[in-house]
Amino acid sequence: MKWFYLILGCLALPLAIVAEDEDSRGSLVRVRASIQPYDQFRPWQKKSPYGLNGTGVVLPGGKVLATAALVANRTEVGLEKPGSAEKCAAEVEAIDYEANLALLQPTDKNFLKGFSGVVLGPALRAGDKTEVWQLERNGEMLRNQAEILSAGVGRYPSDEAGFLLYGVRVSLPKRDDSYTLPLMKDGQLAGMMMGYDRDSQEGTAIPIPMIEHFLKDAADGKYEGFPTLGVSWSTLRDPNLREEVMAPKSGGLLLTRVNPRGTAGRAGLKEGDVLLSVDGFKLDEDGNYRDSLYGPTAVGNLIRTKPTVGSVARFRISRNGKEMDLTGTYDRKAREEVAIPTLQFDQAPKYLVVGGMVFQELTGVYLQEWGDKWSERAPQRLVEYFTFQQEKRADPGKKVVFLSQVLPSPITLGYQQLSGLVLEKMNGHEINNLAELAKAVDEISSGDIVFEFRDEPGKLILQADGLPAISEKIAKDYGLPALRRL
Amino acid sequence: MGNGALRFAPLLLLPLLGSCGKGDWQLSEARKNVVMIEVTAQTWDYRLPWNPGTVSSARGAGFVIDRKRIITNAHVVSGARYLTVQREADPRKYPAKVNFVAHDCDLAMVEVEDPDFYKGTTDLKIGGIPDLESVVSVYGFPIGGDRLSVTRGVVSRIDYNSYTHSGRESHLAIQIDAAINPGNSGGPVMQNDKVVGVAFQGFRGDVAQNVGYMIPTPVIRRFLKDVEDGKYDHYVDIAIRWMALENPAMRKYYHRPNDGLGVVVTDIFSEGSSDGVLEKGDVLLSIDGHPIESDGSVRLDGQPVQLEEIVERKFAGDTVELEVWRNQSVEKKVITLRPAEMFSMYEVLYEEAPRYVLYGGLVFQPMTANLMAGLLGSADLRLRQTYTLFGQDQLYRETPEPVILTSVLPDRSNVYLVGLAGQIVKEINGKRIRTLADVVPALELGGEKTVIHFEGDQRPAVLKKKEVDQVMPRIMAQYGIAETKRTELGDRRLAKGSFKKEGENR
Repeated sequence: MKWFYLILGCLALPLAIVAEDEDSRGSLVRVRASIQPYDQFRPWQKKSPYGLNGTGVVLPGGKVLATAALVANRTEVGLEKPGSAEKCAAEVEAIDYEANLALLQPTDKNFLKGFSGVVLGPALRAGDKTEVWQLERNGEMLRNQAEILSAGVGRYPSDEAGFLLYGVRVSLPKRDDSYTLPLMKDGQLAGMMMGYDRDSQEGTAIPIPMIEHFLKDAADGKYEGFPTLGVSWSTLRDPNLREEVMAPKSGGLLLTRVNPRGTAGRAGLKEGDVLLSVDGFKLDEDGNYRDSLYGPTAVGNLIRTKPTVGSVARFRISRNGKEMDLTGTYDRKAREEVAIPTLQFDQAPKYLVVGGMVFQELTGVYLQEWGDKWSERAPQRLVEYFTFQQEKRADPGKKVVFLSQVLPSPITLGYQQLSGLVLEKMNGHEINNLAELAKAVDEISSGDIVFEFRDEPGKLILQADGLPAISEKIAKDYGLPALRRL
Repeated sequence: MGNGALRFAPLLLLPLLGSCGKGDWQLSEARKNVVMIEVTAQTWDYRLPWNPGTVSSARGAGFVIDRKRIITNAHVVSGARYLTVQREADPRKYPAKVNFVAHDCDLAMVEVEDPDFYKGTTDLKIGGIPDLESVVSVYGFPIGGDRLSVTRGVVSRIDYNSYTHSGRESHLAIQIDAAINPGNSGGPVMQNDKVVGVAFQGFRGDVAQNVGYMIPTPVIRRFLKDVEDGKYDHYVDIAIRWMALENPAMRKYYHRPNDGLGVVVTDIFSEGSSDGVLEKGDVLLSIDGHPIESDGSVRLDGQPVQLEEIVERKFAGDTVELEVWRNQSVEKKVITLRPAEMFSMYEVLYEEAPRYVLYGGLVFQPMTANLMAGLLGSADLRLRQTYTLFGQDQLYRETPEPVILTSVLPDRSNVYLVGLAGQIVKEINGKRIRTLADVVPALELGGEKTVIHFEGDQRPAVLKKKEVDQVMPRIMAQYGIAETKRTELGDRRLAKGSFKKEGENR
């Protein structure tokens, strides 16, 4: 019985320790971001502003590491010293929304003078003990004991594929500036906390290998981002499937789609190929390679975190039973050269108002404006083009221009209810982006402007005569600051 | 057209509790003819298509016309396995049979064999469309007791509305403010001893109050006329989309004066009534001599109604004459009307047993409204989009009936295929799959293997035929499946599908 009590006593030790030691000072700084996203449904204006408060990590050079989510759609970013209310504005030097990391630089070079900074620690493994640091109001450090539950590839908030991710168990008390928090190990940085669920007391953190990749990329002043392969794949455990695709005795995964623009596509990989190894790392039937640190790890980490844009990619494949080696260069073209971009944070949405008809260029951010169930609630044609753009809108030069709404005016009589219509042609000319449409509209001063849409009602007509004056009046009536942003 | 969100709830049938006693007074016309219908019905489970489904009992109303035929709602007798009817003046319950069901307009005709049942019934007259604000009485057996209930209200609105039972149809409906509740379904709505409607749907209490709907007599008369030849055909459809021609620039573009007349044709559904007759950009000026206003309405008996109402009252094979403005001159076009098969995808099926093919634990089912209703929440985007855009994008031209691998019944032989459930089948053994009927012959093609390809970037499923033959008895015993397939089409209408080149490969 006595032994039992002893255990209990151990567990009841406070998880959080207010630290007095020297090494925790000069390492963290408060980050105050003023956020004001654009209103995608009213592209000429912004939504109401709000603030996000996080804790940034001071790096040895005097720059500050934070998450990208903390500073997305910012109007202003400020830093504040933990022990005092001394403040300084900061610039975002590099930002990666996929990897959810941002590097901040104080505008006053001397602001963080005296901060020793935190060095990057080693990568952690499941089971490792670690700490999540929080700042008390008075600037004291609150060190919460934490444990790494898992280390593997998982979903990041603004990424489509997957990156290395820590699952962290930690009991975090409510404190200010907790939107982003550092994960620490022996006074060194071990990761950045980017998500936390108070009920399960579990969170997610961006591991050191990701942070290293990001900082290395940002160091030369030209940020390029994490490479992508541009493929869809399936596991190859099924012996019947292995036989069908003539896969070798073991290992490999089946490529079910290859984007010809991506790293894999340009290296010559094709749909139906069995990918056996990447950069010398053998892939098993489940799509894992053997990581020296984490053991079997999803191939996503191998192709996105290990190489950098511009480095050589080496593939071994089996095609129709014949093995061969292919070489290419890692890049991000599969992600960036697309008709409908996903990540358009910080960017003002393009629009064009013609006599009350509002045209926009389709982005993933616009669709997300429809809420969590955007794929059910947004106009289905727009959802289709976005989701299946690899199949249906593969040409990155062909943006999707659509009529998002109609501001009622005498010349849009009968059109008021229309929205979500993809524009294909204007006066018989194909329209590939919003600038083309603006140019085409500007060139017509009399006669009909015939808009042809993908779906019914098919055609809508506006009279070009006197159109600029009418548009101006609409801008005035509805208080639009401008009729276009291209 | 299309499949809007369900706004109305059909008046749920009232679950059966007890029965009622007898009465013998001086009865009104309505009370002589109104009947209580008790139904035991079976509903299929589309997730387990081989099962006979669940059995439930419910109560609705109906009324005898011409001392012989009983009119009620289709949703009262849908899937009926046993039904009895009972009149107020006679406590006996008579077994009855369903003669005709028209799911598209939610009407059905029921008959009792025993002539005793009809003693005391009269030739109940069917009236016209009651005036707005005039008073009507609703007869039925709604919740709150077991005896006949009568409520009274005024005619609030006469308009096109969706008929919830079929899931896709819209017809003329009359809104009344009399209390209509579960159990009123199928009951007569009376005015001056004439039937002026059949109570059929309303809103849930938390959505709207004092809003009930009845099927008006033009729809009832149409139903009675349709079944004269011994079978019920479907409503016909002009199968076009049109846009109001209100915008001055649009009117000028189509060279129409500002006379407030005409609508412009924006889409014509292939295989529909107007296919090959009308063209996009045609301006419709009149229909059967009724001028079409620029908002698409025509005057019928002095009332403004949508131009489709002219078509609504016709039957398959009837014609409709249109005055069309094309190439700046007026042309007369005659359209022979037929049902819009291409939209049958969105029709909820009631009588037909769910079709399926079982192959080595893989369950193939055709895309139907019933199946999708159960899947929509969980279905992946491709499946949902194929369903939503099926009519609009005329996908039926290539695949009149997309086939879905709805589930993989786990067995040691198919452990690697479980993740493929929910995919749309593209090809089996190199054969393009356009309807469920293609599946069984395609499975027999090829050599020792069966290779199934799916839409999108999915891996194929590969099965060894010999192995499938071996495991089938085990799977069927394990999951209690008696038949490997059910592929008879029943009454389901399918678009013919102007197929792309036969045998075309990926």
